Amino acid sequence: MNQPGTAPTPVIEVNNLVVEYGSRGHPTRAVNDVSFSVNAGECVGFIGPNGAGKSTTMKVLLGFMFPKSGSVKLFGNEPGAVAARQRLGYLPEVTLYYPFMKARELLFLYGGLQGMTRAQLKERIPGLLAQVGLEGRGDSQLKNFSKGMQQRVGIAQAIIADPELLILDELSSGLDPVGRHDLRDVMLDLKARKRTIFFSSHELSEVETLCDRVIMINKGRVVMESPVAELMKPLNIFEVEHELEGKRDTITVNGAEKFNATLTDILSRGGRIIATRTATRSLEDYFIDIIRGHEGGKA
Amino acid sequence: MRCLLIAWTVLIEAVRRREVYAIVLVSTLLIGALATTRFFDLQGVSKFYREVALQIMTIATNLTVIIVAARQLPREFESRTIYPLLAKPVSRFTFMLGKLLGVMGAGVFCFLLFMLVFLGGCWSLDVFVSPALFAQFLYLQVMGLLIVATLSFALSLLTNLDAAITMGALLYMLSSIFLGALTYLYQFSDEAVKVVLKVMVFVVPQLSLFDLSEKVVHQETWPPVPAHVVVELTAYSLVFSGIFFGIALMLFRRRAL
Repeated sequence: MNQPGTAPTPVIEVNNLVVEYGSRGHPTRAVNDVSFSVNAGECVGFIGPNGAGKSTTMKVLLGFMFPKSGSVKLFGNEPGAVAARQRLGYLPEVTLYYPFMKARELLFLYGGLQGMTRAQLKERIPGLLAQVGLEGRGDSQLKNFSKGMQQRVGIAQAIIADPELLILDELSSGLDPVGRHDLRDVMLDLKARKRTIFFSSHELSEVETLCDRVIMINKGRVVMESPVAELMKPLNIFEVEHELEGKRDTITVNGAEKFNATLTDILSRGGRIIATRTATRSLEDYFIDIIRGHEGGKA
Repeated sequence: MRCLLIAWTVLIEAVRRREVYAIVLVSTLLIGALATTRFFDLQGVSKFYREVALQIMTIATNLTVIIVAARQLPREFESRTIYPLLAKPVSRFTFMLGKLLGVMGAGVFCFLLFMLVFLGGCWSLDVFVSPALFAQFLYLQVMGLLIVATLSFALSLLTNLDAAITMGALLYMLSSIFLGALTYLYQFSDEAVKVVLKVMVFVVPQLSLFDLSEKVVHQETWPPVPAHVVVELTAYSLVFSGIFFGIALMLFRRRAL
């Protein structure tokens, strides 16, 4: 953990990352000069439309894909280094786990690969299954699991060894509202225990709730990086819902002075103030503005 | 330890999936049916049973190993299970070695099942099998399976699943014909071609060298193979398996997932 006054420790460092797909003659650039870092204990959302380069970046972090140029470090190690993978948990995008195995067997496998002993796993697995909402399903074969249940198993395998860093691709994919609720509890628990979390999701409300910071990527480039609190802070825009001469209306005003003047005016004319609101913008509003602007070449 | 966990997964899959059982079941039924034959005199029954049952055992086990080995990596890619697996502290070498051990375990498991059925048939027909020769037969089969498994791994990374199974099965089936054809051609070739044929004999793995079934059939006239030959064949198997495994590993290490 970082001590007050000391520089934060980057757990993930990505510098000028470029990744290309396809043949040598006609390569497609999936990630284009991307740089960012994630510090210990941070929860960072990695968002962007489909095909933006989120999964590709994550795959490079884990050593599954190789960059054309740029550098990537995980706990100061090269991507794919066994020493780094000892300390992380990864949830891949939509995975169909071994259909011939039972949930408990699968967790024994992944926990064992993470270096946990049989005794540790026997103690850990029942609680873990309950935590992800699969209590009593340990002996069910995975071929009988729905997409959402597979995702829950995926989350369980990612957190089985209580890793310091979690990289989660399409976190809530396939989960129903109950599943999302359970997942939010799991994530909040991890956050409370100062685990570093780097995840991608299309559920922007989830990102808003959980993340300290958000990185937005589009067409392989980072188009926005900001603390969530900064994005969510109230705007200097006010709405005044009022009744004047028997007619209800809402006025939007920009700035505190105009807001005060509006209130005084309505009251002086015998009107009634029903409600006042400070306008905020959701992450989704930002997302749509930036992506549309970017597509239109404005960003 | 991690290697054994991966091998264990392969073994569970082989045991629980229906395809492998189908091969084992059909072959077992064939061997079982043979054990009830009474068409020939005692010696004829004994030889016929040994010959056909051992051929079934050999072909069925090799096919099982080809199928199980060839599908390991493509299935991992297809279902995306490769990602959570390699996100754990497992190197690509450990992953491949675990897969190979698992495939070999599945092959040996198959072989042991067949052996039990075969020996049951021997007991029912009152057929004697030389223990030393039979042990050599089993051991060399496993050595041959190692080549087949590593070759199938390499093929599955060079091509796709279906092509790897087809090519693996063809190479296995044609191996003995290939050696026979080379030997035949050798007699009628000039010196330059003879050199090429000799090189081919060394370059292409001769799987028929690992098949002692003929010896087991004619055990009355053939003694067990000398120990130094078994050692040489072991080295031969390890060299070819090492080459194929090395090719597979090289392809896998450089592959973007």
